[in-house]
Amino acid sequence: METLVQLTLTSLTTGSMYALAAVGLSLIWGALGMLNMGHGAFMTLGAYAAMTAINALGLPPFLGIFVSLIVGAAIGILAHLLVAKWVIVQDGAHTNIMVATAGLAILIEDSILKIYGGYPYPQPFSVTGSVSIGGVAVNLQSVFILLVALVLVGVVAFLLLKTKFGRAIRATAMNRDAARLMGVRTETVFLQVMALAGALAGVSGMLISTQATLSPMMGGAPMLKAFVICVVAGLGNVWGAGVMAIVLAFAEVVVGYSIGLHFGFPAMLLIVILVLIWRPEGLFGKERVVRL
Amino acid sequence: MKRKTTSNSEITPAKSRRSFLKGLGATSVATPVALAGLNKAATAQNNDPVIIGCPVSLTGMIAADGIEVRNGLEMAAEELNEQGGILGRPIEVHFADTESKGDDMVIQATQRLIDRENASAIITSYNLETGAAMINAAADAGIIAMHAFTSTTHDDRVLADPDRYWGIFQYCPPERIYGEGLLDMIQTLEETGKFDRANDKIAIINGPGSFTGQIAAAVRDGAAEHGYTISLFETATPPVSDWGPVLAKLRADPPAVIAMTHYHVQDQAQFMNQFTTNPTDSLIYMLYGPSLGAFRDIAGENSVGCLYSSVIGVLQDEIGTSFAARYRERYGENSSPSVGAMAYQAMFAYATAAALAGGPGEPYDDTQNRLVAEKLKAINIRGPVGTMRFHHDTQSAVSYPGETDDPSLGMPHIFSQIQDAKEDGYVVSPWPYAVRDYETPSWIKGGE
Repeated sequence: METLVQLTLTSLTTGSMYALAAVGLSLIWGALGMLNMGHGAFMTLGAYAAMTAINALGLPPFLGIFVSLIVGAAIGILAHLLVAKWVIVQDGAHTNIMVATAGLAILIEDSILKIYGGYPYPQPFSVTGSVSIGGVAVNLQSVFILLVALVLVGVVAFLLLKTKFGRAIRATAMNRDAARLMGVRTETVFLQVMALAGALAGVSGMLISTQATLSPMMGGAPMLKAFVICVVAGLGNVWGAGVMAIVLAFAEVVVGYSIGLHFGFPAMLLIVILVLIWRPEGLFGKERVVRL
Repeated sequence: MKRKTTSNSEITPAKSRRSFLKGLGATSVATPVALAGLNKAATAQNNDPVIIGCPVSLTGMIAADGIEVRNGLEMAAEELNEQGGILGRPIEVHFADTESKGDDMVIQATQRLIDRENASAIITSYNLETGAAMINAAADAGIIAMHAFTSTTHDDRVLADPDRYWGIFQYCPPERIYGEGLLDMIQTLEETGKFDRANDKIAIINGPGSFTGQIAAAVRDGAAEHGYTISLFETATPPVSDWGPVLAKLRADPPAVIAMTHYHVQDQAQFMNQFTTNPTDSLIYMLYGPSLGAFRDIAGENSVGCLYSSVIGVLQDEIGTSFAARYRERYGENSSPSVGAMAYQAMFAYATAAALAGGPGEPYDDTQNRLVAEKLKAINIRGPVGTMRFHHDTQSAVSYPGETDDPSLGMPHIFSQIQDAKEDGYVVSPWPYAVRDYETPSWIKGGE
């Protein structure tokens, strides 16, 4: 019983971190039709920004979340204005945008390496203490991560489903030209989506760094997993990405426990292969037309 | 396989730790003094600098270690030059950044240092290569190459082809010493009543790659000889942010010893953070990571009690502490003297051997460089990491106490324990280098 509780809690914590990363990535794909290879670097930047604000500026640690959110949004906006905006209108934009954002990611990571070095700094924000659930002592930090992820995913869902802003994003995702003809400023929508996805990436990076510390390349692994989740869910399907993040995290943890820790990620990849063979459009592919 | 060596030198056994260390202090001072003497007596044939090439990662994933290696070599060169360099010729260290990349980058970097910079020798620590890239380039150029790959593969290569690898030296023992030494150290703790095993189980948490795999295999293969069985053999691929599945297994079947050969410091620190929320009565040993300040930064109080070891680490004796203080003064409090010290001492070994051989050889000058290699095999160099002395056949450093019973004839495999989260770990083994006793960790019932 204790083992089951332990594995469930681990799955929820891991899955919630994956969800934040995957939802942002999926949002961009859905609205802009582009794969943002810089998403992992945005996470890294959010984590370092929070650490710097807390350590260097002396901000109260909990404000680190807001710093990572703001810096993440800012880098999303900059990435759009300086890179995506110009590339996305070109022929062959799908491939070009991947190369361009991958270049941006390398630039960000190398800049961080240059400024901070390779030292694995701890994230100064942490929630100390533990609580007993089902006989298992659960770190309050894990509970906090889960709650923040739930709140943020809930906010994104609300924005997309219940606001004019979200309607414009959904309209643009369905049909960019039709949306424009109906008066939606698609350029502004792109910018807003990049800001929102960047903010999610920033917070996701900050939360991951509380569990895994900071390093210039820390965004690489979560970005890869977020991509896997998006593919399984169906690229561009935001809701599906959130659900699959939890499901795949559970699969990873269960395989890690029952077979071996290093089989967890390969198991995720095996699921991707099977899904791509069985349903190339992803498990939630039917909803792809209405990219939420 | 464990092997013990003997020496032809006549060494009077030290009667106590104090007299032993005092004796070593005198020897250690003698090394640079001897080199200074040789330099003074020599009439420099020319003032051309002796170029030492260092292909090392100054950027990328392992840059933190690479930068310390650069620091150590620069510090050694400066100190040696104050004493006249090598027979009056100043030492210059030229670096080539291998960017934490593989064989292709390491070969290019090494070749450039040899052919363009005219390096007389290569001294580095390690790169992310297969183990053949740098040594083959150096062997083909007929120069000395000193590295700290900590690899049994080095021994195998040199034994298999001594005519090619006569100039390749591993200035630390191979990795298997970690595994064998851990089991011996636990036995010593048990025999001296400092550790009472809760059961006969060892859980091994291995990392990716052959380095950690060899160490884990040495623990696994030697466990039965020490009365242990392996209850868990897990391999983790970094980064591991959540140890939940492994902790669930450990809690379901608690072992007496947890040996983590997975050596990524962030992962190890997170393991401690997550382990201590619901610990088992297990002695915890971790490879390498706890020696870094980052481990204590991340794990904080949860780091206290952890054991770790290094087959090449700075001793907490007169020479070691003096070196560490000078190093930190020069490179900052966050610098790692342990990493810098390896290359520092290797440079002293090379300079002494080259001086004794009548000077360093040029690239492709086999005759003179072979003389330097012979002198390297003949000398003992005492420095911050203990005695650096090479096996004549494998050209790897001799380890104490695993390969020799005489602490003055081998590089100590030092075990340390973090006893205060704000301080570096204290050496708790082996004699005579231990400065503190092992303390039972607080998470073990009856612990401090």
